[in-house]
Amino acid sequence: MIDEHHGWNLSQKPLWIGFILSLILTLAAYRIVAHGHLTHITLVASIVGIGCALAVIQLIFFLHLGLEEKPRWNLMMFIFGVALILVLILGTLWIMSNLNYNVMPDMGH
Amino acid sequence: MIKDEHYPDSHHDVYSKTVFGFWLYLLTDFMLFATIFAAYAVLSKNTFGGPTPKELFDLEYTTIQSVIFLLSTFTVGLAGVYTHRKQKWGAISFFLITFVLGLVFLMMEIKEFSHLIAVGSGWDKNAFASSFFTLVGMFLLHLVFALLWILVLLVPVFKSGISKISLRRLTCLKMFWQFMSIIWVFIYTFVYLLGIV
Repeated sequence: MIDEHHGWNLSQKPLWIGFILSLILTLAAYRIVAHGHLTHITLVASIVGIGCALAVIQLIFFLHLGLEEKPRWNLMMFIFGVALILVLILGTLWIMSNLNYNVMPDMGH
Repeated sequence: MIKDEHYPDSHHDVYSKTVFGFWLYLLTDFMLFATIFAAYAVLSKNTFGGPTPKELFDLEYTTIQSVIFLLSTFTVGLAGVYTHRKQKWGAISFFLITFVLGLVFLMMEIKEFSHLIAVGSGWDKNAFASSFFTLVGMFLLHLVFALLWILVLLVPVFKSGISKISLRRLTCLKMFWQFMSIIWVFIYTFVYLLGIV
């Protein structure tokens, strides 16, 4: 990703690996939702797990994250970004569910 | 100035500086989507008596869309490989295939939008619909600009081959498309699949 002549930019192989893995995972997610006999909580956990795996696979095989030479600025900035996003999303869910609970106790949240 | 042996400056040329800067932009775009995702997560249960996500979403339709977008991410990657190999026609044809796949995806999503509006779940109906249209609409806005971007960038390639400037710009475009693919994975997972189960 850093060097324009980096091998990952010239090779088709990582694209094929990333594409086939993503296709398998997408169809697996479809299959467990359409025909699965899982309990609700395992179903939700597997869907979220597959979604996160898909994102990681695409980041590595398509965007070549973490494959640059040291110092890995792209990777460091990405980890910082993920930390911010987690604070943002989990913080929002936490504070809003608290508000729901405290402000509208009769609505059965 | 003392040169630090352990931490050399790897961003020494315009190409790598541009790619790194564009990566930082993509991370800010991730944060934009994160705020909209957070809003959707909070509001998605509030349908105000209207149809729920479970009744609205079509699993087969959305999965076909996902596969089409995945295919376009693959072809944009191939286009990037041909761009780096300085193979003009390979790059042009794969960017055009990506364009067509993106256009098909856009049409399918517009069809879904009009279906949602027709069954009484337009963006003005309830909080779920508003946050859904904001999230997926923001994604479509990115897609529309990426489609225009492909056409604009291909004109100089068509005229005079892949220059250093074109290589840089097309690499950014490729990264943008792959970024959108990751956003779509999250929309497919958290909005559609979790909405259906």
